[in-house]
Amino acid sequence: MLLRRPRVLSGTHFMLGNFAAVEGALAAGCNFFAGYPITPANEVSERMAERMPEVGGKFLQGEDELCSIYALAGAALAGAKVLTATASAGFDYMAEGIEYAISDEIPMVIMDVQRTRGENFATQADVMQMRWGAAGDHELIVLAPSSVQELFDFTIRAFNLAEKYRNPVIVMSETTIALMRERLVIPPADQIKIINRKMTQAQPGDYVPFRAEMGCVPDMAPLGKGYNTLYSINPHNEFGSIKWEPEIFERQYERITQKILMNLDDIVTTDEYQTEDAELILIAYGSETRPCKDAVDVARGQGKKVGLLKLNTVWPVPEKQILAAARKANKILAVEMNMGKYAGEIERVAGCHAEVKRVTKNLGAIHTSGEIVAAIEESLR
Amino acid sequence: MIAERQAIQFCGFGGQGVILAALIFGSTAVTKQGYHAVQTQSFGSETRGGECQAELILSKEPIFSPTADKVDILVAMSDLAFSRYVGRLKSGGILIMDPDMVTRPSRNDLKIYEIKANHIGKELGFALSSNMVFLGALHRFCGILSDQQLFDGIRENVAERYAEVNIKAAQAGIDTMSGLLK
Repeated sequence: MLLRRPRVLSGTHFMLGNFAAVEGALAAGCNFFAGYPITPANEVSERMAERMPEVGGKFLQGEDELCSIYALAGAALAGAKVLTATASAGFDYMAEGIEYAISDEIPMVIMDVQRTRGENFATQADVMQMRWGAAGDHELIVLAPSSVQELFDFTIRAFNLAEKYRNPVIVMSETTIALMRERLVIPPADQIKIINRKMTQAQPGDYVPFRAEMGCVPDMAPLGKGYNTLYSINPHNEFGSIKWEPEIFERQYERITQKILMNLDDIVTTDEYQTEDAELILIAYGSETRPCKDAVDVARGQGKKVGLLKLNTVWPVPEKQILAAARKANKILAVEMNMGKYAGEIERVAGCHAEVKRVTKNLGAIHTSGEIVAAIEESLR
Repeated sequence: MIAERQAIQFCGFGGQGVILAALIFGSTAVTKQGYHAVQTQSFGSETRGGECQAELILSKEPIFSPTADKVDILVAMSDLAFSRYVGRLKSGGILIMDPDMVTRPSRNDLKIYEIKANHIGKELGFALSSNMVFLGALHRFCGILSDQQLFDGIRENVAERYAEVNIKAAQAGIDTMSGLLK
């Protein structure tokens, strides 16, 4: 028997991270999901298969990742709000479709539940892959939730940003949080802010699909209603015609990157914890922010002036916030669960103003707070 | 009643309902008593028989690190998993174990409660309910929920046709622990 639960499951839950991500997507208005099985992202598909029929949406299990990502593109152009979920190795295959979505400005949300190569242990090893997996000049928005609640909240935000900027947005999940159960509070539906894409008011004959001011986003037109837009990955002009014209190519790519870069204040968010008087600031993202927060409490208890800058948006890089942290503190610890990747970005931004040290762990497990405390002590010795 | 923050580990083999017990306790504490809870788990790729463990942190305050360095309470359902995880139990910690399934440890710094969960489950005619016997015993020890809240939590998380026998098993666990706490 088909359950008929509402689209927004308002209330307090004890929920698996992957399920919370699905509920976030549904609360944001997602009505199309396509994906190909891979652990540790399978519970996203499992719950979508159950929930989509309940809310009148469509669920598709693709024959592979390529099928899934292009199904997303097609459904999004037809007007749907779309999600896929994959994990590390599956993301490899989706890179081409993401490039397509970037070049044709197709809103979509991709949930990437990072896992260690060939296994399902915890890692943040794909923080670069998500940003740079697709070919060609582009900007991507990547959000890094750290809890089951943030998997819900950030997935909603990912949909809003995808719709507003007509760009793929990636939710950078991890085994750690995706397979964790935690308290989740879903607010009443009318308290959830939802942004939908702007649709054109122009008549089919007058509509110019890729025309917009620098840093702006063109209005979309519904597919199959006479607007006859060609969505090609090849270089195209404002009318969507495939044409190699160097100046037009340059302007087009300038615009689709500037629509992100000129709106950083709207896109990039961070949280600060005990940074006001901090002499040492930890910079972390995703699940790694959690032991960092405990470590800050321990260090403060010992009279050490330590704080945390938590990056909610990892791409674009929160340069303004990292720079401010570097100007405030003498020392920065770049904490992550891989061999040291995003630390390069932190060094690039903060290196001139503070000493940046890498605190990395690549053992398929999150740092313990004790390990972070030890790194703080070592650095302050 | 237990302290404001507790790390509880459940261990056994796949098929015993190790994770379900942790899930029900966490879920009930969160949805009926306003607790914060984080539950993590690991298990072998076998559907049944592999080693399995679930960790549950309960707190009145938000929880940051999702796993604890040492656990306060260990619920041990099988010997193999127990020998692996007994080292995580803090000194002075609580061990709730089935003496028919687990060898009493040589550590003398623990408070041990023996619950014949398998035997009780079998007597109720549903051997698979031994996890609920443990759950009832743990619940009685912790004292953060009412019995009714626990039973409602069980009802919400198991198939309807198994709700009554599972609640009976939990009641048996509560009664056994009550006897031990006297």
